[in-house]
Amino acid sequence: MTKEEIAGQKNTINKSPFKRFENFTVLSIFIAFVVIIVILQLILTGASQFPTFISPVNLLNIMQQIGVSGIIAVGMTMVMISGGIDLSVGMLASLVSIITALGISKWNLGAVPAVIVGIMSAVVLETLLGYIISRTKVEPFIITLGGMITFQGIALLLSNSREVMMSGELDALKANLIEGAKDPVSGLNLVIPPYVLIFLLITVLAWILLTFTKYGRRIYAVGTNPNAAYLAGIDVKNMKLSVYAINGLLVGIGAVMLLSRINVGIITLGQGLEIDTIAMTVIGGTALSGGKGNIWGTLIGVVFLGSIGNAMNMLRLPSEVQFVAKGFIVILAVTAGDVYANIPEVLSRIKRNIHAKSTKEN
Amino acid sequence: MKEILRLTNISKTFPGVKALQNVSFDLREGEVHCLCGENGAGKSTLIKILSGAYQPDEGGEIWFEGKQEKLNPHLAIELGIQTIYQEHIVFENLSIMENIFTGLEIVRGGFLQKSEMNKKTEGVLEYLKSSLTPDQIMGDLSSGEQKCVEIAKGLIFKRKVIILDEPTSAFSVSEIENLLEIIRTIKKSGIGIIYISHHLEEAFRIGDRITVLRDGKRVSNYEMQNLTKEQLIKDMVGRDPSTFYKRETVPIGDVVFEAKNVTGNGARNISFELRRGEILCFAGMAGSGRSELMNVLFGTTPLDEGKILINGKTVKHANPKNSIKNSMCFITEDRQKSGLFLHQTIARNVIIANLVNTKKFIIKPSYDNETGDRFMKVLNIKAKNSRTRVSSLSGGNQQKVVLAKWFNTNGEIFIFDEPTHGIDVGSKQEIYQIMVDLLKQGKAIIMVSSDMPEVISMSDRVIVMKGGEIMTELDRDSVSEENVLTHSIGGREI
Repeated sequence: MTKEEIAGQKNTINKSPFKRFENFTVLSIFIAFVVIIVILQLILTGASQFPTFISPVNLLNIMQQIGVSGIIAVGMTMVMISGGIDLSVGMLASLVSIITALGISKWNLGAVPAVIVGIMSAVVLETLLGYIISRTKVEPFIITLGGMITFQGIALLLSNSREVMMSGELDALKANLIEGAKDPVSGLNLVIPPYVLIFLLITVLAWILLTFTKYGRRIYAVGTNPNAAYLAGIDVKNMKLSVYAINGLLVGIGAVMLLSRINVGIITLGQGLEIDTIAMTVIGGTALSGGKGNIWGTLIGVVFLGSIGNAMNMLRLPSEVQFVAKGFIVILAVTAGDVYANIPEVLSRIKRNIHAKSTKEN
Repeated sequence: MKEILRLTNISKTFPGVKALQNVSFDLREGEVHCLCGENGAGKSTLIKILSGAYQPDEGGEIWFEGKQEKLNPHLAIELGIQTIYQEHIVFENLSIMENIFTGLEIVRGGFLQKSEMNKKTEGVLEYLKSSLTPDQIMGDLSSGEQKCVEIAKGLIFKRKVIILDEPTSAFSVSEIENLLEIIRTIKKSGIGIIYISHHLEEAFRIGDRITVLRDGKRVSNYEMQNLTKEQLIKDMVGRDPSTFYKRETVPIGDVVFEAKNVTGNGARNISFELRRGEILCFAGMAGSGRSELMNVLFGTTPLDEGKILINGKTVKHANPKNSIKNSMCFITEDRQKSGLFLHQTIARNVIIANLVNTKKFIIKPSYDNETGDRFMKVLNIKAKNSRTRVSSLSGGNQQKVVLAKWFNTNGEIFIFDEPTHGIDVGSKQEIYQIMVDLLKQGKAIIMVSSDMPEVISMSDRVIVMKGGEIMTELDRDSVSEENVLTHSIGGREI
């Protein structure tokens, strides 16, 4: 028997549930997290004070907070599955928000054309990055880092380093779809704005694209092994290019949503968004090396990271502490998978040891 | 001449394979001892034992300058055994001097003694009659010059044994001359050299003694002046053909694939015809341009000149996508690098190539699994189900997944590059049977193989290549190990 065969057998013996369901690890951490928060809240504040973490009003609140980064994280997931990464999404979102705001308040394009111009500029710029990435051998990390700095520069130039005010032209995007609905416990207003639905819709569409189409299968193939993908008749270059183009579209949509919430086109709008979305994607089980990951994992990552911030606010933790805790949880979430995977092996080793001891004693 | 190194009774067993059996070997001061044998004869294993990378099985003894030693990589270098591998392991962006002294810098009081290191390097390069200077960047040097630097390193640190593994495989003619000259020079300083090469003429020019390995056993050992070329080839081959796999023959049909003066990627002026029901084998030494030719035939690398005809029609051969549409299949040599999606499921691997032929955009995941399960049954792939990841399969089963990927495209013309590379004996037979089954369905196979028994037993015709050109074509009756080997190392006048 060859070494490979032995390794193969070991793997089939290893029937850990953690391996069978890919998102199990992170989901279980998330559930544990929610339980801890609820317990903490009961202890610290008592059930009498509102709003509490699991109340409907707060859950919808979380959805509003994560909607934008969620859309962008979906794009990031696709880019990372194809073996790439995109550091430019944050600054691109800022740029799009400034272009759209300028289009509305300075160039008088009207709301809809301005939004289209904003989103299209994101698609064009990302396609450009995708073109460079797919046609050269330079790491996407470096190219998109360059893109990030360039976009920042363009955004500052266009806005003269100032904020671009709007007067609520995009309010339709944050209108409450369930006007009048109240939280049964606290009596506070419940809010579901359209962009939350758009986020959920995009998530479902991306899931269909990745799971049910020829295109989706090819993205995974390209991310896993570009050489083999090319030999299997896949146009690897254009696949990569198209993934960045889709990512541009999603960043554009996300940026417009963000703009509608804040009502001001400004450079700080997208700051740190790339870090957040990469963290969400990675927590969701997508591998930086490509070919591995799925949309549901990312959704869990998005909700997880979003609720951490929310929960810590409710526990009234100072923001400095929040950073530390957030960072720690990211590390915990991504290493836990590895630890989990080794549990069966550790258990069997312990069993073997016990067995060996008992036979010795006999 | 004093003896430096003696190996006695060396065996090395890997799971399922006896790579070396009771091999003895010795090396004297200032001699060039050549090690010859076909692919898989055990040369590399022997070198790895000498460099300390492998431990020999119980009973093997290694004596170095009269003392018995248990080698590990660190000790081997300490004793003065330097192995120079076929592939250069160098720091491309450092200078020659830095490459030589990395890890063994001359330091005084915490400071690098650059000028001293430069002087030493310069001295040795001069001794080797090389025009290189110590500050040249390693990455700018040719393959031959890099080899010269590695030998210089051996001299600077006063190594006693230098092992050269296929040193000339990527060399031009003048570089070979230079290297042989360098070897003659360093011989004089008493260094023992173990020289491994496919190019037998080199062995004859600089060797003092020669040891021939075959199937992990030492066949013979000669003083060079007592040896003829005919005798050497006879020793290298000489397997018993009755132990080879026996395949059924299949009636041969029409011409399905034709190459006319195909040139590109190092292959020159290649013309041949391939018929249905036939296995056409390309034999030759490593670096003879066979895999390069296959890449041109499949459209992975561009065709510079010539024509490719499928079913009598000239085909446009721009990329693998076109080739797959033209019903070609390409089972590459390195399945992990270019054949498989290791971290994906069997199902995903199987369906991927045939996506070229499907018009549908929406495909249900259940389609993947059904297709995967079907081929697992057809090819007897051993795994729990088609959702098993390919990375957990054995070599033989992985190869079958690659086959399934291509069978799924309903291809007609199969290119098998080293079909049984790194596969255990049992799976080998299965793969052979699968190949014969393909022939029975009227398909045609081009096979590249360096495994001599495989060449002999599987081929209907054999084309022998050397240096990117066809040397000869042999039919079933004239194929023998001796014949193939003679032509692959350069015709009559080795």
